[in-house]
Amino acid sequence: MGAEKKPEKFVVSIGPQHPALKEPGHFEFAVEGEIVTSATARLGFVHRGMEKGTESRTWVQNLYLMERVCGICSAVHAMAYAQGVEKLAKVEVPPRARAIRQLIAELERIHSHLLWLGVAAHEGGFDTLFMLSWRDRETVMDLLEAITGNRVNYSANVLGGVKIDIDEVKSAAILKGMDFLEERTRHYMKVVTEDETFLGRTRKIGTMTLEQALRLGSVGPTGRASGVPYDVRVDAPYAAYQDFPVNIVTDTAGDLEARFVVRIKELYESYRVIRELVDHMPAGELTTRIPRRIQEGEVVSRVEAPRGELFYFLKSNGTDMPERIKVRTPSLCNWGSILATAVGHRLADMPMILAGIDPCFSCNDRMILVKRGNDQTVWTWEDLRRYGIEYYK
Amino acid sequence: MNLSLSPLVELLFFPGGLVLLASGLVYEFVDRKLVARFQNRIGPRWFQPLADVIKLLAKEEVIPAGVVKGLFIFLPIVALTSILTAALYVPMFGLKPAFSFPGDLVVTVYLLSLMTLCIGLAGANTEDRFSLVGATRALTQMFSYEAPFLLALLGPAIALGTWNIGQINSAAGNNLWFIIAQPFGFIAAVIGLMGKLELPPFDAPEAETEIVAGALTEYSGRGLALFRIGRDVELVIGLTLIASFYLGGLANPLDFLWKTLILLLVTAALQSLFARLRIDQTVGLWWRIGSIMVLLQLLAVVVGRLIAPLIPFLSSGG
Repeated sequence: MGAEKKPEKFVVSIGPQHPALKEPGHFEFAVEGEIVTSATARLGFVHRGMEKGTESRTWVQNLYLMERVCGICSAVHAMAYAQGVEKLAKVEVPPRARAIRQLIAELERIHSHLLWLGVAAHEGGFDTLFMLSWRDRETVMDLLEAITGNRVNYSANVLGGVKIDIDEVKSAAILKGMDFLEERTRHYMKVVTEDETFLGRTRKIGTMTLEQALRLGSVGPTGRASGVPYDVRVDAPYAAYQDFPVNIVTDTAGDLEARFVVRIKELYESYRVIRELVDHMPAGELTTRIPRRIQEGEVVSRVEAPRGELFYFLKSNGTDMPERIKVRTPSLCNWGSILATAVGHRLADMPMILAGIDPCFSCNDRMILVKRGNDQTVWTWEDLRRYGIEYYK
Repeated sequence: MNLSLSPLVELLFFPGGLVLLASGLVYEFVDRKLVARFQNRIGPRWFQPLADVIKLLAKEEVIPAGVVKGLFIFLPIVALTSILTAALYVPMFGLKPAFSFPGDLVVTVYLLSLMTLCIGLAGANTEDRFSLVGATRALTQMFSYEAPFLLALLGPAIALGTWNIGQINSAAGNNLWFIIAQPFGFIAAVIGLMGKLELPPFDAPEAETEIVAGALTEYSGRGLALFRIGRDVELVIGLTLIASFYLGGLANPLDFLWKTLILLLVTAALQSLFARLRIDQTVGLWWRIGSIMVLLQLLAVVVGRLIAPLIPFLSSGG
């Protein structure tokens, strides 16, 4: 029976509430037996109108809004935003503040990668690795709580610097935590590269070639696992990455195993750079003054979030509120890679391929209105609100 | 042990019926607790399986659109009944089987498989995609482990020259333990039991991250509770069977307790050690390795029986 003679496809439709991840997304996999023959994704279930929301808040208020774009990588969002505003206002941030920003960002990367390791293991039905990696993740969560007072939205950044400091006691705790985590991470590296059943689920699964990765615009560990040599921390250093550089981690295999290896090796890099930061923390001020009204202009701010390049575009009209803020999160760039690599794999591999890019659903949902011809209508906040209510009905 | 209870009491309370159900819940608790401790979790409280069952029994049973209603209601009952019937031929709690006849081993294994068949049918009965995929996987998995599992149980049976579970049980205690005489058969039996019960890493038929709850996705309330109790009792029966065949027989309740609990410890460890196998990997594992291992074992047993009269010290075990 030829494929074209079969109009009745067996479609497994998954989501918006679905078993794989704890965030809403809709996927349709056409399967023949267990083999997936086509895959489509539909997003947009958790659109929150944050970009529009920034336009009616002051620059300072927006810092707290942007920190809540993502629940896992909250600090990098605040950092990307703060760096953009500082660039607009032409303000230099003191070196100590920049080093502390990098410290928080790297601690956050550790917590995010360990979280991903657990989630990905769970998708593969390896719950022991899930439980143990999340237990160890508590170490870095406790550290972040001790340093900033919060476990999720650390709120460490302010416009013009940071509002937390690192003292002797905290430094010692961080170093101790890094030693413990490094030892555990080396163990996990052994598990994901040597455990036969786990390799059966990851090796040569979801392989994305370098050419595919470049064409689809993959970023972050997903792209680097396919050999894309791109890391904002290295290519366009921000915060204190100039003085405390990290090494770029790439792999050539491009399969799920490579994504595990790349993320775990990035953890090693994070441990190393955090130790350096703690040992050679520059002295000085934590903040610098920043004007309430930001002068007119446009700026692009990029940082390397745990999932890849995070892109902020800020436009000021000279008042105390932004004219436009555009956020492009790394998950959005990586969706294409899932749909491209899913075909030909088994249905059982879908959750792992899906989790392989470390997707974050809520931070990449956007609403786009395509203007046709000379349409001059401007949508107000009220229009959007009404549209949203209608859309989700 | 030769207790003479009235058949009605035997059926309703001990060793069948209520006590059997209770032991199923207790073994489920021990299994969950052990896996939780292996994963560095606290695990459930002792009454959690019972609480789950009571909650499910109290809940409304939703019968989804598009199912054959009678089948939907009937299947869990058949599944539980067949499992409870199987218990009558097995030396539960180290007691003499309630009923026994020559060749009851085959009937017992068949009754145990009926559970999986019912689950497969229950999944195929609904229109839910997850259930259909789960049912396909459950039946595929059954075809892969069933033959090696049966062959693994036949090893001791052939060596002892009887297919009666009660006789095998009492004879196994007088011989060299079959776990030493037939190690491959033991491994195949334990792993086969895990496949039967769809325990990790053989939980592809109900992989929660892919197909929610597999074949039983549409079941709620009473039906789900019956399936769950059935599976719990199947766990106890399976452990009893393997312990009586391979761990030197079950002579008394104490024997039963420590031998099955050690087996449970082994299965719990195996559950937490591995990542879930895809269904094609499961089938491959059983047909490429499991079957060949067990067949070689069986060949050795048959050859052993043929040459045993020639060599006196081999006559026990095979």
